[in-house]
Amino acid sequence: MSRLSAVKPAYWISGVLLMVAIVVPLLVPTFAKVNPHLWGFPFFYWYQLMWVFLSAILVSISYRLLRTEERRRRAAQGLGDPDAPDAGTAKEGDQ
Amino acid sequence: MNTTVDWVQLIIVIAIFAGVTVMGFMASRWRSTGRLDNLDEWGLGGRGFGTFITWFLLGGDLYTAYTFIAVPAAMYATGAISGFFAVPYTIVAYPIVFIFMARLWSVSHRHGYVTPADFVGGRYGSKALSLAVAVTGILATMPYIALQLVGMQAVFETMGLGGNNTLAKDLPLLIAFAVLAAYTYSSGLRAPAMIAFVKDILIYLVILVAIFYLPHVLGGWDSIFGAAQEKLAKPNPATGKPTGAFIPGEAGYVSYWTLALGSAMALFMYPHSVTAVLSTKTRNVVRRNATLLPAYSLLLGLLALLGFMAIKANVNVKGLDGLANPQLAIPRLFDQEFPSWFAGIAFAAIAVGALVPAAIMSIAAANLFTRNIYRDFLKPSATPAQEAKVSKLASLLVKVGALVFVLAMDKTVALNLQLLGGIWILQTFPAIVVGLYTRWFHRYALLAGWAVAMLFGTISAYNVVNPATKKHFGGSLANIPGTSMPAYIALTAFVLNLVVVIALTFVFRALKVPDGKDSTHPTDFVADRGDPGVKDLPEIIDDGGAATAKS
Repeated sequence: MSRLSAVKPAYWISGVLLMVAIVVPLLVPTFAKVNPHLWGFPFFYWYQLMWVFLSAILVSISYRLLRTEERRRRAAQGLGDPDAPDAGTAKEGDQ
Repeated sequence: MNTTVDWVQLIIVIAIFAGVTVMGFMASRWRSTGRLDNLDEWGLGGRGFGTFITWFLLGGDLYTAYTFIAVPAAMYATGAISGFFAVPYTIVAYPIVFIFMARLWSVSHRHGYVTPADFVGGRYGSKALSLAVAVTGILATMPYIALQLVGMQAVFETMGLGGNNTLAKDLPLLIAFAVLAAYTYSSGLRAPAMIAFVKDILIYLVILVAIFYLPHVLGGWDSIFGAAQEKLAKPNPATGKPTGAFIPGEAGYVSYWTLALGSAMALFMYPHSVTAVLSTKTRNVVRRNATLLPAYSLLLGLLALLGFMAIKANVNVKGLDGLANPQLAIPRLFDQEFPSWFAGIAFAAIAVGALVPAAIMSIAAANLFTRNIYRDFLKPSATPAQEAKVSKLASLLVKVGALVFVLAMDKTVALNLQLLGGIWILQTFPAIVVGLYTRWFHRYALLAGWAVAMLFGTISAYNVVNPATKKHFGGSLANIPGTSMPAYIALTAFVLNLVVVIALTFVFRALKVPDGKDSTHPTDFVADRGDPGVKDLPEIIDDGGAATAKS
């Protein structure tokens, strides 16, 4: 584990973001209250609906970070782009 | 009540249903005309599904008709803890899925795994463990299919179909299911994928209209929440305690987050979720979808609030049998507050919404049976063609089984089993998800942990007695042993599962009990489409099942 510093920033940043997206919506005591209201919604209800968006944003950022890192890794290993339209047919020849 | 048939509603539902049926069969016709461009786009043959179609497919698969009935029903009956937990549940599900699902995609596509049990078998070299995972998956899926029918029944009942005649009561359900079985049989996974489009568009339309129109009619959000708060605070005549929780009190905190976390971890252990994920084109489709699927979570959250609207609107939830049935809250709310034609569209959305997951679930259960029971134990020499045939038949059998379940048994049996299913399926998490990262857990330790947790979960759930009806399986919450803190049984059992697995792994390692053969390689877990040895799985799943990957 002495090589922890070798972990690419993309991985640990995503890790932290994903942990936030998993843990914070589950901290019930932080949002189990009525006030402040928003558009007639008690805090408990609008706060959790807001987390739908926040969580989606956090996961999106992680996705972008990891995709960039994964592309770099694949390029370094000489592997193709899986999203290319002909990526699936390339291996047909191998079979 | 409602003994007269609402013809406007009925005609609209039949028309939409007929349209969807044609689509379901067309999914297979495209194939036989050999139009490969359509196969690539719509079907699973060859390429698999991209982000867009997967979004609809997974959305249609995970957010079932039953969800749409049950979540608001729970809100209506007991409020936030048993209802609104679905929102944090679907919020935290996607980061969790984001973390591990891409690895399962990669290893499955390199090894031709069709089911989660295939992976477990290959990873740990243990047919027994693979069987345990497969049986758990089948057991958890069957009642889930049955509940889709329950959702449909609630809609048919509200439309005024039924009455005292058993045949007339069940006929709509029989027809709907015969149609479903026929096109799943002929079109495989392509049928639900196509129908998911219709279902989702209808559902979004209905919810959006409901969310903007109904508060307007019912006097605004303030008065809706006010009515809910008042109703949920009223003491329950049987127990003297409040009917429900408007906002969880301190005693409900643990219940709330354990329900959310346990359900989130269980969601992608269900075989039908895995089937949909494995049918995608590349490793990252599922990750991209994890960023997009929360749109459905928002939908679900708004939908949950319809349960409060039903409180405000004072809907009549008495069923045909004269007993109060909260499951009728949403259909009755639509029936009461919407014009007939729009209520018809809403009912069609729910009915069609039952077909998509039911089809995928039956295919997934059939795959488990074919790959991990038929091939592994009954006929190891089965050819891919035989496997496909068995799978198709099994998918039919599963559906007939679910139908018999709903028609012959009391609805509560299906409900109880689905509740148990959620507890059971989470116990496959250590073998599947931990197995994606490390093989440190010993295969027999995993088997023992699974068995202990299954037993513990089942007994705990049985011991939950409904205070009003005095029946067993009264809910999914039980005190954590040794405390007076109620928590989701699935998660308590899961912790017990892990403890047993870790302890026994040390024991087995000390005793040098042999490990099974691991047929995976570390690079398998990051492989992507186009890499050497990566196969396109969809065409396998496509045939209703289970031919071995061509390699």
